[in-house]
Amino acid sequence: MRRWLPDDSGPGCYPYPVTNDLALMVGLPGQGVHLHLDALSLLFLCILAPQILASAVAGMRASVTFWVFCAGMVLALAAGDAFTLIFGFELMSAASWLLVLRGDQKPATFYIAIAIFSAACLIPAVFLPASSPVSCSIAFILIALGTGAKAGLAPLHSWLPKAHPAPPAGVSAIMSGGMVKIALYVLIRYSFIILTGAAQPWWGVVLIIAGVASVVIGALRAVLETEMKTMLACSTIEHVGLITVGLGIALRAKAMGDPALTAVALQAALLCAVAHGLFKPLLFLGAGEVKHSTGTTSLNWLGGLMRGQPRLGGLMLLGAAGMAAIPFGPGFAPEFLLLHAVIGAAATGGILARIGFTFVLAALGLGAALALGAAVRLIGIGFLGRPRSLHAASAEDARPGPLFGMGLLAVLMLPVALLPGQVLAALVPVVSQLAPQADMHPLAYTPLPLLLLAFLIATATGFVLHRFGVRGTREVAPWNGGFGRAPAWLPFGDPTTQPSATGFAQPISRAIAKAVLGKNGTDPADAWLIAPIQRLHLRGVRLAERIRRATIRQRLGVVFAALVLFLAALGLAEGG
Amino acid sequence: MTYSLAHLMGGILLLSTFLLLSQRRLAAMITLYQLQALTLAAAAFWQGYAQSEINLYLTGIITLALKGLLLPLALREIVHRFNLRRAVETAMPMALAMLLGVGLIGIAVLVVLPSTMSAVSLTREDLAIALSVVLLGLLVMTTRRNALAQIIGFLSTENGLVLAAIGMPGMPFVAEFSVALLVLLAFLVTGIFLLRIREHFDTLDVTGIEDIERRGR
Repeated sequence: MRRWLPDDSGPGCYPYPVTNDLALMVGLPGQGVHLHLDALSLLFLCILAPQILASAVAGMRASVTFWVFCAGMVLALAAGDAFTLIFGFELMSAASWLLVLRGDQKPATFYIAIAIFSAACLIPAVFLPASSPVSCSIAFILIALGTGAKAGLAPLHSWLPKAHPAPPAGVSAIMSGGMVKIALYVLIRYSFIILTGAAQPWWGVVLIIAGVASVVIGALRAVLETEMKTMLACSTIEHVGLITVGLGIALRAKAMGDPALTAVALQAALLCAVAHGLFKPLLFLGAGEVKHSTGTTSLNWLGGLMRGQPRLGGLMLLGAAGMAAIPFGPGFAPEFLLLHAVIGAAATGGILARIGFTFVLAALGLGAALALGAAVRLIGIGFLGRPRSLHAASAEDARPGPLFGMGLLAVLMLPVALLPGQVLAALVPVVSQLAPQADMHPLAYTPLPLLLLAFLIATATGFVLHRFGVRGTREVAPWNGGFGRAPAWLPFGDPTTQPSATGFAQPISRAIAKAVLGKNGTDPADAWLIAPIQRLHLRGVRLAERIRRATIRQRLGVVFAALVLFLAALGLAEGG
Repeated sequence: MTYSLAHLMGGILLLSTFLLLSQRRLAAMITLYQLQALTLAAAAFWQGYAQSEINLYLTGIITLALKGLLLPLALREIVHRFNLRRAVETAMPMALAMLLGVGLIGIAVLVVLPSTMSAVSLTREDLAIALSVVLLGLLVMTTRRNALAQIIGFLSTENGLVLAAIGMPGMPFVAEFSVALLVLLAFLVTGIFLLRIREHFDTLDVTGIEDIERRGR
């Protein structure tokens, strides 16, 4: 049993004060359950807590499974030894499977298969003796596979857009905002703290490649999907990719001994995790409310919700600003830091690193642009324009519970958006725990003064225009977004006169998606990973069926042939 | 003297099993089986005399009565009742079956001789012969289509086992006795099965059953 406590003598040992370690005498005999909180687990608990609160307020508090799910996540975070960690992690997986099953059966089956794969990778990895560099590398690969499958990291991500939208919105919110973070927490815990002595630069490269693939695929699919929740899940893949790229750069820089770059990349990854943990649950809760009030989350049937649901629309706008990583939004500072880290990483290593990181930079830029497109599409198609169905036209504002939950997350988003420097200062203990030698610099981006400056300029300009502008009025027809005049028999306009969500995505679909995704926008992971596994499974089933239908003589023949082969091998081995 | 006679009987046994492989007609197969069983009984008596072991005489008596007389009689009765006198086996070319048989004997020798280096040298050859008989019996079981021929293959496999048992000094009598009893029971059971197969398909050729199995039950 490996614990990350001082009495551990392996390479995973880390100097902790023993005082805040709590041992409960349940669990493995003679071992018990150790609870232990340090800076890293506290950070992730802080990310998790508002989401749980918001989801509970939004209507999940009556579900026992939901609380078991949350308890599993908290246990995984507060674990002080490997057994407790795995126990909490699997408790979380099992409970979330039940919750997905409540929504739909097929994605739930896919999801539990991925969860079992993840457990099959994690359990041996966690209990592998960390004695030699080779076994440490094997442990890292297994950890990356197991946590990557659970976090939705390419190429093991194709379950996420299917499973995350299935359960009720409150659960989707926590799965997207919290559960993937737990998986990333395990990845960070093992790659930066427990296996730190054996870390190699290529570990980071593995994470960077997987992260970049996730960013591109997730962002692209987010622009193309028409279901709101599926689209949000794809965007989660993108953000997991961003976090992983940051972690990979930090891991590589730490192994190569570059303290400044390690610090920047870690700050980017952690800040991205914080921001994503706020705006993604907000968006999911909002999507749930849209579903509640209109009966659908398909963007092609929505539109004009901002008029009937102004408060929900405003909150969604805030969340979309975070998702798009536009300046003054919560997603901007991490993206800014991450691009800095990539540019910094391009200067370390040979020509290969230079070329590679240039590509990473281009991919991240593409991802950012696509994320902006997805956010604009979400708000522009879903909440602006004219309603495309009667349900959308008659939607009333959201219920107070979910609105309160979303408002809580939005309020917490403000400091992340406007005072990222202060948030980063609060992250200093975590960064120095992960990389003790890291030297951190203050963030060169201060949105609050900038915002004040922009506000002053805008006020001054308005004043000048008002004071010295052209006097007098003239009448013009109001611009109505390019619509034709609504026919008399369609009171809120002909839905086909405004572009649909599919139409909005069409240029991107033609220009990029055909090259990256397969035909009809299928996921490459589906085509290259899941489909071959399915074919293999079919072949295995056919073989089993043939064996089942074999005649007695054939079975006898097989056994006889095996016997003869064995005897021949024995004879040759002994005689030769 | 002890070993040369034992080897002679083992050789006759092996030869008759080999001939079993090459026979197409059931009546000839039964005769060969009877020859096999009588040789085995003689071998058991001879070993009983050589090892002065009363149990081996008992084994010989059981073999003589059960396998040398009772089973062949029953088999002939079945052949007679089912009118199988002219039945011809068509499963595998006989030359190929015999080639396979030669290969099996080679394997048996290859296995037994090196792996029992520490034992008395002449017992080892006895054991090689017994293993050959067992393998040849299994080959008969797998290559034949007729259910009766398969039973004869099974019975000759058992003969090989008994040959190995009597050649080894100190083998408990209970084992041989229970094996003999088991064979008798198996013969009864398969006899009943043969009747049922015959009722349903008008033949003892198991191809019909295999067709049904292949089509899915």
